[in-house]
Amino acid sequence: MHSRLLAQLAAHIGTDQASLELRWMKQALSSGLSNATLSTMVKRRALGEPLQYILGTQPFGPLNLLTRPPVLIPRPETEHWVIKLAESMFPTAQNPRNLLDLGTGSGCIPLLLCHLWPKGSLRTHGIDISPHALRLANDNAALCGIPTHCDTDEPQNTYTTSLASFLHTSFPDNEASIKPPYDIVTSNPPYIPWDEYLELPRSVSDYEDPKALFGGPSGLDFYHAIARIVSHKNILSPNAVVALEVGYEQAEIVESLMRRTGRIHRTEIWGDPWGKQRTVVAHAHA
Amino acid sequence: MSSPEDITRLKQLKESEALQAAWDEWIETRQLLEETSPLLDDPDPTMRSLASDEYSSLTNTLTTTVESTFPSLLVPASTTSHLSALMELKSGVGGSESSLFLAELVRMYQRLANVNRWKAEVVGQNDNEGGGTKDAILEIKGLGAYDALRWESGVHRVQRVPATESSGRVHTSTVAIVVLPLVEETDAHNEELFKMDDIKLEVMRARGAGGQHVNKTESAVRLTHIPTGITVSMQDERSQHQNRRRAFQVLRSRLMDQKITREIAERRAARTNLVRAADRSEKIRTYNFAQERVTDHRIGLTLMNLTSVLEGDGLQDFLDALRRDHYESVMEDMLESA
Repeated sequence: MHSRLLAQLAAHIGTDQASLELRWMKQALSSGLSNATLSTMVKRRALGEPLQYILGTQPFGPLNLLTRPPVLIPRPETEHWVIKLAESMFPTAQNPRNLLDLGTGSGCIPLLLCHLWPKGSLRTHGIDISPHALRLANDNAALCGIPTHCDTDEPQNTYTTSLASFLHTSFPDNEASIKPPYDIVTSNPPYIPWDEYLELPRSVSDYEDPKALFGGPSGLDFYHAIARIVSHKNILSPNAVVALEVGYEQAEIVESLMRRTGRIHRTEIWGDPWGKQRTVVAHAHA
Repeated sequence: MSSPEDITRLKQLKESEALQAAWDEWIETRQLLEETSPLLDDPDPTMRSLASDEYSSLTNTLTTTVESTFPSLLVPASTTSHLSALMELKSGVGGSESSLFLAELVRMYQRLANVNRWKAEVVGQNDNEGGGTKDAILEIKGLGAYDALRWESGVHRVQRVPATESSGRVHTSTVAIVVLPLVEETDAHNEELFKMDDIKLEVMRARGAGGQHVNKTESAVRLTHIPTGITVSMQDERSQHQNRRRAFQVLRSRLMDQKITREIAERRAARTNLVRAADRSEKIRTYNFAQERVTDHRIGLTLMNLTSVLEGDGLQDFLDALRRDHYESVMEDMLESA
């Protein structure tokens, strides 16, 4: 039926992937989520645009999040470690946790935790330097039914956002929206080093925000900033957990950066489903 | 408060309700018949004719009770009556023609589900480049779906002139169907079906550096249940998380299917009896387009209305006949072992 479109797509991404993506495009069209036509979708995809921007959504765990250029598209590696984090902690409404998400992007990390953990057990705050990201994160929160504050008697998990750069040495002192101490700090900061940034597939570098990808010459600028924040007295509560996504060869360096803060007594490195070291989980002193 | 013994007793009582109702009907009809008999010789011809009509109608009722109601009560209640169904369809011989027919069968079962108020959803599908579907997994949710559909397992054969065939020659193609009991994640019985330690979970494609470096959708997963060697691949959802959920659902269904098959075999062995085994490579049904007919080879039933079968109504007749046939074979089985 759509053999011409399939062939057009297959020339760029291969037959198997093309037939899957064509089906997802049709599904998005039939669900009324998009008012584009199939042929414009295929044309955009053949030009290299990420499927997630064309469809306008990306599943993330049980959530279906909105995606909008240039905000970083939630990755399956992130989905995997956030679900694992959710399963490794047991917050309750009687003992709720405070979470800070650094570089919140689409809001995927705090929103998934808010969704998975019991009602009233989690208050989250996300910061980002990009107004686009904050708009999308707030739209996603509304879509997922996660409020900014709990104004009813019924307990709820909450998500708030503010515009801020955690690369600044003045952070978090001059930020009124940051209310330590935090029990959990999460981040998927930009971690791609300069030389690798130049080699990225064009569907990444031409469409996604460099400010969400480029981690400075070594790719480690933001981990140095996070280490500085973690060292800051009173930012972490006793036994706090810091969970950081890292690039494929950065886990051990980031682990030692965390250890050197003096606030951490134990660290773990989690692998992703593709066998790469993906997440550094640091546990603060009691 | 009711004790566990009370619950068992109540359950027994509930299960015997149908028996009681059939017996009551039998007694009542017998009584009416006895009361009607003398009127057959009534001097009034109108009365005689009325009595004669009533007599034959009551006799019919009694015959039905003896021939079908009572025997059907002997069939033990199905242990799978609450289960939904997962249908796996795979195209067989016949290339793209087989794939086209597979897509038609999927629509047929979707229509049947609609009529029965079951919820049908295609949860996995591989399309053929030349049109049609290479294989599909259809989830049919609703009470009794598994019991009604389980006899659809086997090879379905289509005979027709393919749309692509210019010479007008009739082709024969096949689609293999396996119907599995659908076991929900929340179902309490899963625990015993498998241990997480026995599962190997693999992601399908390499992702290079992964993470922020890549935004290609690579969500395919493969599960292997090491003790049985069952593997399930799933790639239809955009999220790996969802593919994983689907894959576990299929795995649970296959393991449940094996369990049911094993239990049936054990029961048979215990009675040293032979009952026609359900062989999934057996050709069970032919859809002949030229003759507008559908024949089920197991029960020798032919319907001369192929269109109605493909639209779901005619299929219901086959399902009903197969269910009756199943009951009869269970009864024969019981009688022989008695």
